[in-house]
Amino acid sequence: MRRPSTVSLRARLYLVSAAILTLFAVNVGTHVWGSFARSESLVAYRDAVNAAQLTADLEQSLDNQRQQVLVLATLRETTEEPLGDNERLTALKDLEIITTRLRRLGGLGNDGSEDYYRRLHDSATKLLILWRSFYDSYNNAEANLDVDSPRSYNDTQQRLQELDQRQAYLAVQRSNAIDRTISLTDRITVIGFVSSIIITMILVISLIRSTNASLQRLKTGVERFGSGDLTHRIDESRDAGEIRDLAHTFNDMSGKLEHAIDEVQNAKADADAANAAKSMFLANVSHELRTPLNAIIGYSEMLQDEIGDPGELNRQQLHHDLGTIILSGRQLLTLINEILDLSKIETGKMQISLDRFQPAALIVQVCDALSPLLSQKQNTLVLHIDSDTLPEMVTDQAKLQQIITNLFSNACKFTENGTISVSATEESNELVVVVADTGIGMSADQQNRVFEAFVQAEASTSVEYGGTGLGLAIVSEFCEMLGGQITVDSAVNEGSRFTVRLPLDLTSNRAGA
Amino acid sequence: MSEGQGVVLLVEDNELNRDMLVRRLTRAGMALICAGDGETALQKMRDHKPALVLMDMNLPVKDGWTAVREARADMDISDIPIIALTAHAMDSDRNTALDAGCDEYATKPIDFPELLDKIQRLIR
Repeated sequence: MRRPSTVSLRARLYLVSAAILTLFAVNVGTHVWGSFARSESLVAYRDAVNAAQLTADLEQSLDNQRQQVLVLATLRETTEEPLGDNERLTALKDLEIITTRLRRLGGLGNDGSEDYYRRLHDSATKLLILWRSFYDSYNNAEANLDVDSPRSYNDTQQRLQELDQRQAYLAVQRSNAIDRTISLTDRITVIGFVSSIIITMILVISLIRSTNASLQRLKTGVERFGSGDLTHRIDESRDAGEIRDLAHTFNDMSGKLEHAIDEVQNAKADADAANAAKSMFLANVSHELRTPLNAIIGYSEMLQDEIGDPGELNRQQLHHDLGTIILSGRQLLTLINEILDLSKIETGKMQISLDRFQPAALIVQVCDALSPLLSQKQNTLVLHIDSDTLPEMVTDQAKLQQIITNLFSNACKFTENGTISVSATEESNELVVVVADTGIGMSADQQNRVFEAFVQAEASTSVEYGGTGLGLAIVSEFCEMLGGQITVDSAVNEGSRFTVRLPLDLTSNRAGA
Repeated sequence: MSEGQGVVLLVEDNELNRDMLVRRLTRAGMALICAGDGETALQKMRDHKPALVLMDMNLPVKDGWTAVREARADMDISDIPIIALTAHAMDSDRNTALDAGCDEYATKPIDFPELLDKIQRLIR
């Protein structure tokens, strides 16, 4: 696995640019060095040519001058004719030219030929002094002029030769050095140029590849997210700088989008569930309204038909039938009220009105009022309420009353020849009311659903025992509204035991919550 | 309604509704036998071979839908017409009853003349 590049795109561009510029500078440098070496070589060549020319000229001048001096010396001995001023001046001028050339030769010299030049200069100066005095004293007959001094002339010529050789040797050496430099710079230039091209290509290709890989990762990430993989995130650790920022920004955006989509989906699921619940509620309401209406309409139509029959109308039968109609009508009214209550609870319009009252008195009162229900199925009531120990309550009295009423009438409804017991106690600032019966009881499955709206232990129970299946749902909702709860404990054919726990003071409970 | 059409089996667990329908159908000239749950209903169908069955769907012991399906699977009684009586009034409830094998469907509260009409059409 290739180690991931963690250099930012900008840094990569800077690095590549710097590398290319450095290579370029190296190339230019070696080229300049080579050009300098070439011009050096030209200068050296010119110097060598000049020196050789000067040496040849000087040699010629010295030779000419010696010939002239020897001829004049011979003439002076034989003719004793004096030397004319013009001739003397010309001769002196020639000497001057030799001196100038000598000096120029000295100017072309360098460290390596200095000694040779000094020796040449010494002997040449002596020779020139000799020659100058020859010309100066030519017309003086007494002067003994020794011009034939081959040693001095030969020395000078020899030293000139030596200098020439020396200079030629030095020129060859220098030119060799320069040649080496030139070939070195040429090699460096070629190597530098070729390697520059290769390195630049490698850098550019790797830049393109790494940048392309980064962009490809981004593209793949965006495509995967776009195709519905909402949990996909781009690996930020594999990049640096701008591309990591971009990946990070995209991941941020992905997270927010995912969250938003989740919320929308949850909201949709909630709305669907609420809708389904509403439809189910409506279907149940329709069903529950139709059952008593069936009896009301059916009996009424039947009575209408029977009135038209010939013969005596059975008054006892008529009384019973009318009773049935009235009972069903009442049942319908109860159902409508309960549906309204549930609807108020669900829309949050059910208000709590706080009262201060004695719960013991309230419970006894409810049980008294409902005592006719006991005798319908030959049940007996056992009350366990100590009105002295039960403290006052601050809560919604009407709702507590309805809770007790519903539980009590349920107990009466589902029990025959049994006992209904109602007890109320105080436990850690809570009122605990237990309504127990010895009736038909419920299975565990039935207990789990008994507080849902429109659920009775069995669908048929409604027909057999009456009731709407809303009573316990309302009780459960009321208990919750009053800050408490209701639980059930039951077994089939062994009765049911409902336990209600409500805070004694709803205001303090709310403050503490 | 003439005599000799054969008996009609009324399956209804609610006493009030059963009493009411028995009285009205008898008055319309029908001979009726009754059952209070799905299991008894199937037994009485086999024993009496009624000309028609009026069946409530919310029944104890064995509910109406199951009873109808079992009746349709039983060769002896599979051709007895069945009219479903139920307080479930949604279209889907109607389809559930017809899918189970009911021939007709009547919603509570019962429109009595319409019910008589349906019975008349189904009895040969």
